[in-house]
Amino acid sequence: MNSGDIKAWVELQTHAESLGVVHLKDLFRQSGDRFDELSVRANGFLLDFSKQRITGETLDKLVALANQQELELWIEKLFTGEQVNGSECRPALHTALRSPRNDSVQLEGRDVIDDVHQSLVKMERLVEQIQQAQWRGFDGRPIKSVVNIGVGGSNLGPLMVCEALEQYTSLPLRRLDVHFVSSMDGSGLEKILPTLDPATTLFIISSKTFSTIDTLANANTAREWLLKASGMPIDTINRHHFIAATGNPEAALKWGVAEENQLLFWDWVGGRYSLWSVIGLPVALKIGMGGFRELLKGAHMMDMHFREASFDENLPVLLGLVGVWNINFLNIHAHAILPYDGRLAQFPSFLEQLEMESNGKSINRDGERLKYRTCPVLWGEVGSNAQHAFYQMLHQGTEPVMCDFISAAKRYEKDGDELQQQHKLSLANCLAQSRLLALGDDEGVSKYQHYDGNQPSTTIMFDELTPETLGGLIALYEHKVFVQSVIWEINPFDQWGVEKGKKVASSLLVELGALSDKSLDASTQGLINYVQSHSKERV
Amino acid sequence: MKINIYGSGLSAWVAAACLAKVGNDVVICEMSQGKELPLKKIPIIRDEPGLLSALEMEADSGRLSRCVYTSLLEAEIHWLALASTEQKTAEQVVLDLQAAEHTNLLVVNQCNFMVGATAQLQVLLANKGGVVYIPDNLQEGAAIQNFSQPRRIILGLDNREALVKAKAVLRPFSVGLDSLRLMSSREAEFTKFAITGMLAIRLGYVNELANLADRLGVDIGVIQEGLGGDPRIGEHYLSAGCGFGGQNFHNYVAKFSGIFQEQGQQSLLKRVIDENEVQKELLFRKLWGHYDGNLTGKTVALWGVSFKPGTASIDNAPSLKIIDALISQGVQVNVHDPEALGNLKKHYVDEDLIVYHETHMSAAKDADALLLATEWPMYWSPDYQQLVDIMRQPLVIDGRNIFDKDVLRANGFVYLGVGR
Repeated sequence: MNSGDIKAWVELQTHAESLGVVHLKDLFRQSGDRFDELSVRANGFLLDFSKQRITGETLDKLVALANQQELELWIEKLFTGEQVNGSECRPALHTALRSPRNDSVQLEGRDVIDDVHQSLVKMERLVEQIQQAQWRGFDGRPIKSVVNIGVGGSNLGPLMVCEALEQYTSLPLRRLDVHFVSSMDGSGLEKILPTLDPATTLFIISSKTFSTIDTLANANTAREWLLKASGMPIDTINRHHFIAATGNPEAALKWGVAEENQLLFWDWVGGRYSLWSVIGLPVALKIGMGGFRELLKGAHMMDMHFREASFDENLPVLLGLVGVWNINFLNIHAHAILPYDGRLAQFPSFLEQLEMESNGKSINRDGERLKYRTCPVLWGEVGSNAQHAFYQMLHQGTEPVMCDFISAAKRYEKDGDELQQQHKLSLANCLAQSRLLALGDDEGVSKYQHYDGNQPSTTIMFDELTPETLGGLIALYEHKVFVQSVIWEINPFDQWGVEKGKKVASSLLVELGALSDKSLDASTQGLINYVQSHSKERV
Repeated sequence: MKINIYGSGLSAWVAAACLAKVGNDVVICEMSQGKELPLKKIPIIRDEPGLLSALEMEADSGRLSRCVYTSLLEAEIHWLALASTEQKTAEQVVLDLQAAEHTNLLVVNQCNFMVGATAQLQVLLANKGGVVYIPDNLQEGAAIQNFSQPRRIILGLDNREALVKAKAVLRPFSVGLDSLRLMSSREAEFTKFAITGMLAIRLGYVNELANLADRLGVDIGVIQEGLGGDPRIGEHYLSAGCGFGGQNFHNYVAKFSGIFQEQGQQSLLKRVIDENEVQKELLFRKLWGHYDGNLTGKTVALWGVSFKPGTASIDNAPSLKIIDALISQGVQVNVHDPEALGNLKKHYVDEDLIVYHETHMSAAKDADALLLATEWPMYWSPDYQQLVDIMRQPLVIDGRNIFDKDVLRANGFVYLGVGR
């Protein structure tokens, strides 16, 4: 599209010129059965696009764009292990992580599905040992607390899933508490270590490269804490208190995690796509290996749907294309994720990484600068809480924003009436807000009571939140991101934009401790001076 | 007198044997749906010393018979010795008695239900007679003696008319009795719970002391003597060890703890029960510490698997937790027990890492450690020289503090006790 065939794109531009000026309330007025026309059901999910500023014609033209961009071909490349991550010369096979054992994906003469299932079996063994209170800490007592040390994909995915599926922790598994620490400044550890018993605490070091400074800094602090508390040799502490989930066994071994305590994944799993691998260990510890396999199953079902369904009823394809329409043709560059479900509180953070680290790019696969916009600014919050925060801007601000409303249809079926009532209240708010954002309101007497409306949204609903539906929901967004990357011709699987900052930081770490004679910019030098003057004061 | 006993647990069978022996005509209704097993095939009878022969003798004499439950049994005394979970069954029996023609009945409740259960049964029986509560004070392994030669009897009753009849039933067992305490049934039920709870707390406390003594290099045996010499404390239930087990004691303490929780009250007992589960793994942890957590491929001898000597029962026994922990670490466990190996085999089906031994010495051969979990008399004085010769590593971990640590050390053993 940067070069080559741009026919479908131009047609959408023309289409947008006429449709873009029509208010959503008029679209609803024009067609009484917009919901039937513009909502799609599959795999237990309902996606309602009728509050998007589109018509059936828009979807046809978007599908034409997908065809022009050879989306079908790219989906096959993704699933069959071709090098869709060109800048790092590797495939992106997160779909293989959730394939059933009898599937086969060949990569350099190896069946990766075999490797995946071997890795799952080893993970299951560790999970059982820990859950049955037979993994022992340094004094022989069983492990009671597990702390996952990881950042980015090694934190956000498992953390989000653990919080979402808390209710699926069976009674015997509740004896185990699972924590997450990530921040490089040690704040996470500072907060939880005083509440933990060193003898019964196990750390999972989750790092694909096993070189992430944030994670290693936290791991070193954790190990120092254990060494001090136990008075034991470092080998004993390493053996009984650390598990590594990594793609770099050599580095893990060098740090001190022996082979039997390593769970491995591969360079063809991107960090932000890794919760399906052994990075999901905290999830398996929390909800059991059975629950973890349900999660994988839900994602696999979405994979099959994405690969097989025709584009006009393909959930990830439509979700991605409608996003492209909003961004590139209606010029909306902010995207709010609004789950009406407190269990999904971490879902917006998870999507921030998934979407913005994948598609926050401005060159195409060939290294050429793009002439169009890509990933919007994406943020979110539990919807009902956000109503008391940033909804003011959604309703009356100057920024156009597209929203995803997400909710389960049913909840608390086995609980009391009051809780069921709370779920209904939440649903009512979800529907009310998307309706008001779409249709606006001019009944107010004064101008400050006026709501313009015309803010488009998609509502995603499913029966209830289970490991399986959550797996499907995450895979839905993963594939949506891929669809958009194909339209925009970018590589969603690299993240070169996060590399340079790490290098600059390591050079500044030296500067902070020494008298600097380098010619830094005035701002950085000034800030270093400030830190140094305060450090000296303390001495 | 004609006495019907309802139940199939230890307390029912012991009551049947003892009540028949003193001349009563006893019928025992096991209240089970299945067919009657021969006495010698019933584990709870087989495992209790002297009980099988006593029951067989009474059956031969004709004073003891077994029957399936019908509500039309002719008897004036009805003895409820059901499990603590069978309150509904007890209520049904009493309702049937109420509906029948009899009057002037005595119902003895010996079940560990909740506080207030006896009074509820009295309501159900209405004017057909009285219900009294006599807590059982059976210790597994000495149950017949406990029943037939009690030192103290607590009798809980809310109806003075029942007293004469109850005393008549108890009379043959009252020789040598120090005290017969009368109280209301609720108070008696509460007292039974309170006694059991107090014993559990003492054991928990002593084990806690022992673990501290371990760290401070003090001998708990000496402390125990000092403590027991204080008349306010007394010397019973002060032996440190690797945790208490058994079906009745453990379940009963757990039930009392449950009552506290139901009333929204934090219970010391809950903590005691939790800590006891931790204590059961003590021998494993000592082994773990000795070998610095490297246990894979080791062989360990385990002497004693029943929850205490004199019984084949392994219910809630510390040995089970020890074995679970050992096999999870890939340790081969050579087990010996004079009575309980049959039960252990049923508990661990097809577990390759457990090897069953006929003699305790053969179990110790080539072992990297000897763990003693149950203080059967036969273990107290082994041939030390032979033992040190046959073991691969002369490490003895004594969960009941039965060995003289100086003697063992002089014989070349590394000795680890509980709190010494």
